[in-house]
Order: sequence, then structure tokens, then C-alpha cells
Amino acid sequence: MGSHARVKAPAQNTGDVIRDSALGIVPATVEPYLALNAAVWDAGPLSAAEVELARLRNARHTGCVMCQAVRYDVAISDGLTEEKVQMIRGAEPDAELSARERLLVAFVDQYNLDPSGIDQGLQNALLQEFSEAELLHLSLLVAWFNGSSRCAVALGGMPDAMPRMEISIPR
Amino acid sequence: MNWIVQGLDREQLLDCLPAIGGAFRRLYESVFELPQVSAETLELCRLRLAQLHRSDADFALEECPVSAPQRAQLQDWPQSSLFSDEHRACLAFTEVYAMDCSAITDAQADAVKAHIGEDGLVALLQALGVFDGLIRLGLIWQASPAGVRQHG
Repeated sequence: MGSHARVKAPAQNTGDVIRDSALGIVPATVEPYLALNAAVWDAGPLSAAEVELARLRNARHTGCVMCQAVRYDVAISDGLTEEKVQMIRGAEPDAELSARERLLVAFVDQYNLDPSGIDQGLQNALLQEFSEAELLHLSLLVAWFNGSSRCAVALGGMPDAMPRMEISIPR
Repeated sequence: MNWIVQGLDREQLLDCLPAIGGAFRRLYESVFELPQVSAETLELCRLRLAQLHRSDADFALEECPVSAPQRAQLQDWPQSSLFSDEHRACLAFTEVYAMDCSAITDAQADAVKAHIGEDGLVALLQALGVFDGLIRLGLIWQASPAGVRQHG
């Protein structure tokens, strides 16, 4: 992993974490980027706590220290506890997770490790637990967070560890 | 045939959640208009990602014209004379990105920046994110892409 930042952030200080980050030097994509990020949180049927669980499980795969340190306030307000977050940290999800949460984790793992290899058993289990709209929401949020998390890692400068940070959704 | 909503192709599945799927498609389409990196270079990187994911359907798509010989030699681009230094830097970066983004070296990032600058590196990364995402979505949904022009 790059030990130093490979791109300088813009000199501006708008107070918006996205616009003021390295992403701000490509202004044409900032608004579509923010719109998609907001839609993933606001416009799908999954709860904020479920979105956050999937985001954090994805961050474990990409190795994004910053993504793993962040907690979105909407998910905390929705009831996501730190105890629950710790349950998805291991290679194998904790047995205390609900069946629905374990399936959510299984989908994120499949997306990251072998998207073309999803078997009939997992498909059937997902279809039994989630509605079609929920499965599409889960898919799209993982695709989005996977891409943005990979971008953060590839830009370099990621510390070895970061403290837990509670933030709001950038808009 | 996808297993979530029978009979729909990948883009129709995206349209089932228009607020999110539409935003994803707008970001995808916007990267080909960016001034920081040419659409041709991005298309070569998208096609290389499709090869690495073994997505024949995505490799068959044409978002931006590239020559038939370049398509034919893309898998062996290091040995081909058909690719510019910019293409080579971006393709090398793309290959490591696809396998393990944390394994990208400073030298690989510097090689990209030498040709398209720091803003080009950011633009490339944003493009790779949506390319990789759309390919993976098609694979995990088992949904063929549609709504874009087919190559040749």
C-alpha cells in the first residue's frame, strides 16, 4: 500500500469531505459521485444499519483503513451497535448474527471474492430472505462502496490504523 | 438469465431502482467525457477488466471505438507495439487494481501521472471503480449487459 498520498487535495476548504479531498481535482465527477452516494443511503429499501454493515464488510475486503474506521451517524441512529460491527470483522461472520445479517455478509463476500461463482443455494437463500428491491439495493451499494473504497486505497497515504470516527453523509 | 427479476438484462435491473441505478449509470457515462484521460484509454482499461473478470459479454461491448487489432492483442499488450506509453501505464495500473488495489506501487502510480497527471490518476480510478462495479454486478446477477452498442 502506498505510504504517501499520490495526489494532492485541492487547496480549497469548502467543509465538504468529498469536495476537499483528492476527488475534488476532477470536478466533473464530484456531483455525480455525491448524488450516487446520497442515493445509496436515502433511496433504497434496506435500513441504514444494514447499509452500514455491508459497507463495513466490504471495507474489510478492500483493506481500506479509513473506510473501516468511519461510522455513519444515520446507521448509529438506526440502531447499529459497535458490538454488531465487531461480529462482521472476522473471516467468518459471528454465529450471533441473524440469518439475514449472515446472508448480507455472504453476498458482500461473494461480490468481492468470486462474483461469477454465486451458487444456487446462496441465490435461493437470498431470494427467500430479501425482496427483489432489497437485493438490487444491496448489490448497488456494494458496487458503489467497493469502487470508492478501492479508490481511497489506491490513492495512497492510508495510515496503518485510525480511531473510530462518526460522520454524516457528505452531500 | 438473471436470478433476481426474471427476464431483465443488467441495465433493466439497474433501472428497477432508478434513484440509485440511474445515479450509477450517470457516473459511468460521465467518465467517458472527462478531459483528464481519453475515452480510448479508458475503453482499453474497461476491456482489460472484462478480460480479467472473464466477462465475455462486457468484452463484446463497445463504449468507445478501439481498433480490432488492439482488441485482439489486448491480452498480450506488454508484447504488442499497438499500445502507446500512456496505454501501457494505465493498463499496468488497471491489472494490479483488479487483483489487489493495495498492491499498486508508487512507481505504477507515478507512471500514470507522468502521462495524464494527478487529476488523470483520480479520473482513471473513478472510471475503474464504475467499470469494475458494473462488470461484477453483471456477473453476480448473471445478467447480460444491454443498452450499449455491441462491438463489430
